[in-house]
Amino acid sequence: MSRYDQMSALGLLAPMLVVLLVVAVFPVLYSFWVSLFDLKLTRPHRVPFVWLANYATVFQDPLFWASVWRTTWFTVISVAAIMVIALLAALLLNEEFRGRRFLSAVLLVPWAIPYVANGLMWKWIYDSGYGALNGLLFQLDFIDKYMVWLGDSEKTLALIANAFVWKEVPLATILILVGLKSIPGDLYSAARVDGANVWRRFVHITLPALRPSFMLVLIYEAMMAIRHFDLFFILTEGGPAEASHVLAWEVYVETFRKLSFGTGSALAYIMAILTFLLAFALIRALGKKL
Amino acid sequence: MARIRLESAGKRYPNGFAALESLSLDIRDKEFVVLLGPSGCGKSTTLNLVAGLEELTSGSLYFDDATMNAVPAHRRDVAMVFQSYALYPHKSVYENIAFGLRMRGHPAGEIEKRVRDAARRLEIEPLLERRPHQLSGGQRQRVALGRALVRQPAVFLMDEPLSNLDAALRIAMRAEIKQLHHTMQTTFVYVTHDQAEALTLADRIVVMRDGVIQQIGSPEAIYDRPRNTFVASFLGNPPINYLEGFLREKENQICFARGALSLILPRQYSERLRGQAGRPVKLGLRAEEVDEHSVPRAGETLHGRVSSVLPVGSDQYLGFEVEGSLLFFRVGRDLRHKEGEHVALSVNVNRAQIFDASTGESLLWDGSA
Repeated sequence: MSRYDQMSALGLLAPMLVVLLVVAVFPVLYSFWVSLFDLKLTRPHRVPFVWLANYATVFQDPLFWASVWRTTWFTVISVAAIMVIALLAALLLNEEFRGRRFLSAVLLVPWAIPYVANGLMWKWIYDSGYGALNGLLFQLDFIDKYMVWLGDSEKTLALIANAFVWKEVPLATILILVGLKSIPGDLYSAARVDGANVWRRFVHITLPALRPSFMLVLIYEAMMAIRHFDLFFILTEGGPAEASHVLAWEVYVETFRKLSFGTGSALAYIMAILTFLLAFALIRALGKKL
Repeated sequence: MARIRLESAGKRYPNGFAALESLSLDIRDKEFVVLLGPSGCGKSTTLNLVAGLEELTSGSLYFDDATMNAVPAHRRDVAMVFQSYALYPHKSVYENIAFGLRMRGHPAGEIEKRVRDAARRLEIEPLLERRPHQLSGGQRQRVALGRALVRQPAVFLMDEPLSNLDAALRIAMRAEIKQLHHTMQTTFVYVTHDQAEALTLADRIVVMRDGVIQQIGSPEAIYDRPRNTFVASFLGNPPINYLEGFLREKENQICFARGALSLILPRQYSERLRGQAGRPVKLGLRAEEVDEHSVPRAGETLHGRVSSVLPVGSDQYLGFEVEGSLLFFRVGRDLRHKEGEHVALSVNVNRAQIFDASTGESLLWDGSA
């Protein structure tokens, strides 16, 4: 490439580079910068530089470790449920039957709903006074009085995970379905002639062939779950007590409720590094496929 | 060991398409039968029915005397080689070959021994730890063969196993498959659209078209005594030549006549063709049935004009215009004719075929294989 070509390429890219610098690179670096100061909006005139003290504060906070644990738990049960349900749904949609197209369209609906709308919908479903879940279980005689579902600290995380799974299953299903469709039919014929029954064909042909799809779904959904905030904000605000106080909620509380931007930024950075590591793994996994 | 019998077998798909109407076929134990036909003729469907990959919608299938209609593929003692090879991509070559034995619960020691034996026989021992994607087309082909033969099945099915190989390898593998049949002493059913493969490998060829068997017979019978023009045209390279004309009788001899051309048909044909003078027929002449060296004799000679000379290395093809029709003959490369030259070619009338001009059925076919 000639020097002129290089310069003109740079010139053409420059506007986008400027935009990225302003809206992405600068905020990322700036929030790291902020995380090195004891910045509290409650006393905006005194902002001492404290090196990594904010990080130390965070790591010494038992609430931080509790929220890491809750985030992990939320991620594990969500992703496990997403993978199992999406696999079953994909296997179903991979078969030929009457109404398959209609069912595929219906399955996509949760995907099309924004997170906040999804949260409001589940808030209504879980409501203790007029919620659909209470109504349904009451009419079926599973419960004899309306329950305060989200008020039960043992069930809260699972119920939020349920709403999260409902929203995430469609995309995971499509990713797995694409994997299923790419398996050559001859492999199943060969396995049948080799004496494999339907279960063994699933174990020896389908599951290994779906490995890349599983990896993709696993990493992507884990990233989504670790960072998830919307449902916690709308459904429980971290409650009852601290039953749904996860990492993303901790960042919000620290920054926007306590107005402690220093520790809030430090927390956000810890979370970002976690997701970054997952993103790195995702790109590696995808790179092998492409 | 198994004799395979299909009785009035039919296969109709839910969309109404009938791949097979009513097919009856009796394959003897240890026989090598080739199903030959163009794509869509039902040959692969027939193979899949025998394998159990598809179910009959009418008729019956027997292995020896046992009805197999309702027996699923994984309970049949059948092995199959696919055109795509269908190797399990995430398993090593060793595991690919061992898979069928594992699924059938053979003890580990025996599996090891049989896989090693098969690998040695196919000369793929050094490849056992590789994955299919690390192999060449020819090597994959061998693994696919190994996976089938390691099972020592009663029935060995092959669906166009050589069509993905290059020409040289294909001929070498033909010889190996023939050898394999010889040593395995089991029933082979082989599907192909390649007439040369069929002629090389088969004990008997089954020529199919539109789900109907056209003719069953030894390669010689199919080649020398085709039942109709479809069978005649499907075998032979370059394809058989046709001349339309009439039968004529004179002085106790039966002739084929077209314009100024008159060929005396051999005496052994007269029984079947007598008393049909004037009947419109097609004369079938294979490309090699000219004798460029013998002296032309009356009643056995084509007079015409050389329209093209096409050298193909070992031979040359001669485009030859006779009575307004263009015929192609294969002649030796030492024969020098020029384009536009008028020549007389001596014809081997003893091998000429006579078909009905409208139905294409052979008038010489006596119903024997």
